[in-house]
Amino acid sequence: MLLAALGLLAFWLVSAPRPLSADAIPAHTPDLANGEKLYHASGCHSCHLPTAASGIDTALPAGGTPLKTPIGTLYPPNITPDPETGIGQWSDLDFVNAMQQGIGRNGSHLIPAFPYTSYARMKVEDVLDIKGYLATLAPMKNAVPSHEVFALPIVRRGLGAWKWIGFDDGKFKEDPAQSAAWNRGAYLVNGPGHCNECHTPRSLLMTSDMSRFLAGGPHPEGDGKVPSIRNLVGRGKYKNAADLVLAFQNGEILGYEDMSSGGMGKVQANLAKLPEDDLKAIAEYLLSLK
Amino acid sequence: MFERVKTVIAASSLGLVVMATAALAGPADDAIKARQACMKAHGGVMAVAVPVMKGEKPFDAAALKAAHDKEDAACAGWDGFWAENTMQGETAETWAKPEIWADMAGFQAAGGAWYEADQKLRAATDEASFKATFPAVGKGCQDCHEKFRRPKG
Repeated sequence: MLLAALGLLAFWLVSAPRPLSADAIPAHTPDLANGEKLYHASGCHSCHLPTAASGIDTALPAGGTPLKTPIGTLYPPNITPDPETGIGQWSDLDFVNAMQQGIGRNGSHLIPAFPYTSYARMKVEDVLDIKGYLATLAPMKNAVPSHEVFALPIVRRGLGAWKWIGFDDGKFKEDPAQSAAWNRGAYLVNGPGHCNECHTPRSLLMTSDMSRFLAGGPHPEGDGKVPSIRNLVGRGKYKNAADLVLAFQNGEILGYEDMSSGGMGKVQANLAKLPEDDLKAIAEYLLSLK
Repeated sequence: MFERVKTVIAASSLGLVVMATAALAGPADDAIKARQACMKAHGGVMAVAVPVMKGEKPFDAAALKAAHDKEDAACAGWDGFWAENTMQGETAETWAKPEIWADMAGFQAAGGAWYEADQKLRAATDEASFKATFPAVGKGCQDCHEKFRRPKG
């Protein structure tokens, strides 16, 4: 009885959401061009797009397109600046807490299908630039359905325990032994790009198995496999960095057939919007992984 | 004598294995192999087209025509490749997603969009018209793969 009570208390303590406080947010004037670039690098639109049936311009991240996951069907929220159904009323602190701590505006844990586990590594200024860019988009009224997850409030609280094991809010650290481009690529891949979320297999506890970093595994939506993105040249997938950059920019338009299936087509569409220097940086970093 | 018994036993078990394998392969395997041969022929067109798009080789109408002819031959039975009972092979592995059969109208629309783009490509007579029409064909491949092909790993 006592043990059970202690166990419950321990669970309650480790699972409690711990949002940042306002002094963790620097004063920052958003760089909108950088925000737009990182919006694409972060793949926001891939999940937050509206359904065709909503009649909303599908270029806007008005949310509501169902995302099937092992725990149920999720409805990514509207992140246009509509004050009622979007994020128009969110403060910088609200936004950073969601993106980098996985805590919603109402203070509860967010389901990590939203890849805050990767976004946590980003520079906070980059996160604020994305918020600045989102604020420039047309506000769309679109109330999205609630997630269809069994016992959602309990799952949300339980996520606190999962985060205690599997979530590290440490920022990306540059490797001074590597080039500036390599470090930029590593930042884009591991922070905003969140490649790891699908290309690294998960352990039994659903945390990334970093001993098999980017080595591929079962598809998170349960159908097929996600390829390894290590040793891409050695395995004959790409000739060199320039070849990989062309694949990012063109996908199957130049016959790079690995750039579609399983959601990669949407990723490639986002990558195609990035400046060539960033794509070269990503290629340099990825091709260094043997 | 004993050696002969052993040989008979070995031969008949081998025969059983062969028969069992033959019994396992079936009509779905044939359809899967046929559509994979068709996809491979699409790849043959890509192999001719992409170096031209990248500027590595000049436009070669004859080579493109040859690849298209192979594509026509391999894909002629397309409409018969996708019967309901070919969702999974008896022994052959397929990357076709169940969404093809859940949304046959969507699948046919995606195939139709590709076909239309491909018809324009086939009308191309020189490098300029080829380069203008080819991207829509690649886009057609991507749009269909994205929705209807399982990731291969």
